[in-house]
Amino acid sequence: MTTSQIPVTVLTGYLGAGKTTLLNRILSENHGRKYAVIINEFGEVGIDNEIVVGTDEEIFEMNNGCICCTVRGDLIRTIGGLMKRAGKLDGIIVETTGLADPAPVAQTFFTDDEVRAKTKLDAVVTLVDAKHFPLRLEDSREAEDQVAFADVILLNKTDLVTPEELRKVEARIRQINPYATIHRTAKSAVDIAKVLDKGAFDLQRILELDPHFLEGGHHHHHHDHDAATCTDPTHDHSHDHHHHDHDHDHDHDHHDHGAVNPKHADDIFSVSATVEGHVDPDKFQKWISDTLRDQGQNILRSKGILSVEGAVQRYVFQAVHMIADSSWGQKWRDGEKRISKIVFIGRHLDAAALRGGFEACRA
Amino acid sequence: MSTPEVKQPRVRTHALGAYIAGVGFTKDGETLAAATGAGEIHLRSVAGEDAKVVKAHAGAVLSFVPHPDGVSFLSGGDDGRLVRTTAAGETEELFRQQGRWIEALAAHPAGPFACAVGKELRVWAKGAAAPVATPAHPSTVAALDFSPDGSRVTAAHYGGVSVWQVAKPGDRPRTLVWKGSHVQVRYSPNGRFIATTTQDNAIHVWRLSSGQDMQMAGYRTKVRQLVWTADSRWLLSDAADCFVAWDFSGKGPEGQPPLEFGFGDGAVMTGIACHPASPFLVGGFENGGVRLGDLDGKRELVLHEAPVEDGKPVRAVAFSSDGWCVAAGAEDGTLLTFDLKTS
Repeated sequence: MTTSQIPVTVLTGYLGAGKTTLLNRILSENHGRKYAVIINEFGEVGIDNEIVVGTDEEIFEMNNGCICCTVRGDLIRTIGGLMKRAGKLDGIIVETTGLADPAPVAQTFFTDDEVRAKTKLDAVVTLVDAKHFPLRLEDSREAEDQVAFADVILLNKTDLVTPEELRKVEARIRQINPYATIHRTAKSAVDIAKVLDKGAFDLQRILELDPHFLEGGHHHHHHDHDAATCTDPTHDHSHDHHHHDHDHDHDHDHHDHGAVNPKHADDIFSVSATVEGHVDPDKFQKWISDTLRDQGQNILRSKGILSVEGAVQRYVFQAVHMIADSSWGQKWRDGEKRISKIVFIGRHLDAAALRGGFEACRA
Repeated sequence: MSTPEVKQPRVRTHALGAYIAGVGFTKDGETLAAATGAGEIHLRSVAGEDAKVVKAHAGAVLSFVPHPDGVSFLSGGDDGRLVRTTAAGETEELFRQQGRWIEALAAHPAGPFACAVGKELRVWAKGAAAPVATPAHPSTVAALDFSPDGSRVTAAHYGGVSVWQVAKPGDRPRTLVWKGSHVQVRYSPNGRFIATTTQDNAIHVWRLSSGQDMQMAGYRTKVRQLVWTADSRWLLSDAADCFVAWDFSGKGPEGQPPLEFGFGDGAVMTGIACHPASPFLVGGFENGGVRLGDLDGKRELVLHEAPVEDGKPVRAVAFSSDGWCVAAGAEDGTLLTFDLKTS
């Protein structure tokens, strides 16, 4: 049932960040592809010949005892309905309301059997208003969640801020989520290939968990001189940003990313842990299950690439809160240095405990 | 009405080219209709070769039931329209709300019918030209069913069901509460129970006299279709790899395991219908297979072998009102008809 799963892009962003403008761009561009768009705020997207469905966001907890297994009932129904339509769909775009927590949307694609059989979550794309994001962070938890969840961030309305403001807001985004790809945009103008069909949740396509791996070449590295920056001493180096080419022999030596020190106790930050060499898959399974069970409410997303002794493939893992997914991924290249790495993005994370726990999974 | 002999029936196969969202028969059993994801209603003579295709909707048909008049059909689409199509192929738009999907639809043989429009219902009393709206439910309505006497219509939604009076759709409904997303609803033919299916792979049942409820779990996947036998003794559903029947005779199914029979090839059932008078069932499966189940004999008969490869789930199954003909429609547009009389 994996042959023709339709990719689903989740489009989030605070009110006024430019979601509708982006949607209208995607739908009006002459790409020859057929998309269905599921929206919550009706009436703003108006493109003929496209399938635009209005739904009422209906979030509920599954009755499975897991308090963070919240899903979107309306999405389950709507996707069931879309699957009845004659003719092939190239993709589905789910626009969330400005105040939405992206987790229930993402979890829907891992929880419902029919939705899983017919569709696959492709990426969470978050629009950020460069001008108002700092304010949003002060007054809403959702704005921060949306950035933390993102695989792709469109840092939008860059024409409305000074270079200094832009640099600061980008640094703040990186603090929350060092792993997302950031594209700077004005008026939501972006090549749709940078937004759709990213395969961010495709375990087969996860090759690296380097904070810079996915970045485009235009990104400027810098250190903010604020205390609250990434403590990784290697971040300042000028990488060549060609890591997409995995035949090319790159040399990573960020052994131990530090956790970002949050400004506020509630701030989202990331923790990564690295083990040189193999981990024991049984120990890891036990540890990650326990960790997600106990801390899954605070861990928004996690991803891991593990080296297992005797295995030629990477063992890849990802989770949205407590919902985890793992499989054998891409092969290690001959002579490639075996490194196991895991990253967490969340709140109230105990970096030392997470690293210690991962270290203890060493084979 | 007599019980069909369990012999190998005559099978006819048609390719309709799009997802079959619903199948049904006219009351006289002479016309079979199938509604598709291409917005078409395919009308076929059960005995002969006459066939007609009517384009009733711009997009997909999402819901489909025989009209109470017995000579036409009701279809709800993702074009926001509710359409009546006669056996002769004439269509009439009964309702339209731009931008909404008509996903939940029910009709009662005595005359009333109703559809859901988002969180509200539109209820047509017997013979009424125009519908009456109910107040909004707390969430979108996923399914509807009429009480056996046709006086009530029940809506399944998040958190339970709401039971409305057909004669007074504005009055406060009776609510039966159970946390969870309810996706299907079916009254028992004796009117004593309301059964729903829920998102978490379970069935929930309320006893209407007392409001007491019970939960049946353990299904492989989400339960989407429910049927009661005509005598109200057995409740069956899809979502298992066999026929699973809960016994509501005596004290009911609480504390009792269900009757399970007809373990076939391991495929999960995706569509089910019950004979209008006898304890015979037809199950359609995820691999395209169709099997007849005999509750009394606890045995099954393969009506249609699943294709060796690429069989697609059977989503819609129906018996003709005399019980002699069965139709099964699959996701890939395969329409199968079984004549149980000939063998």
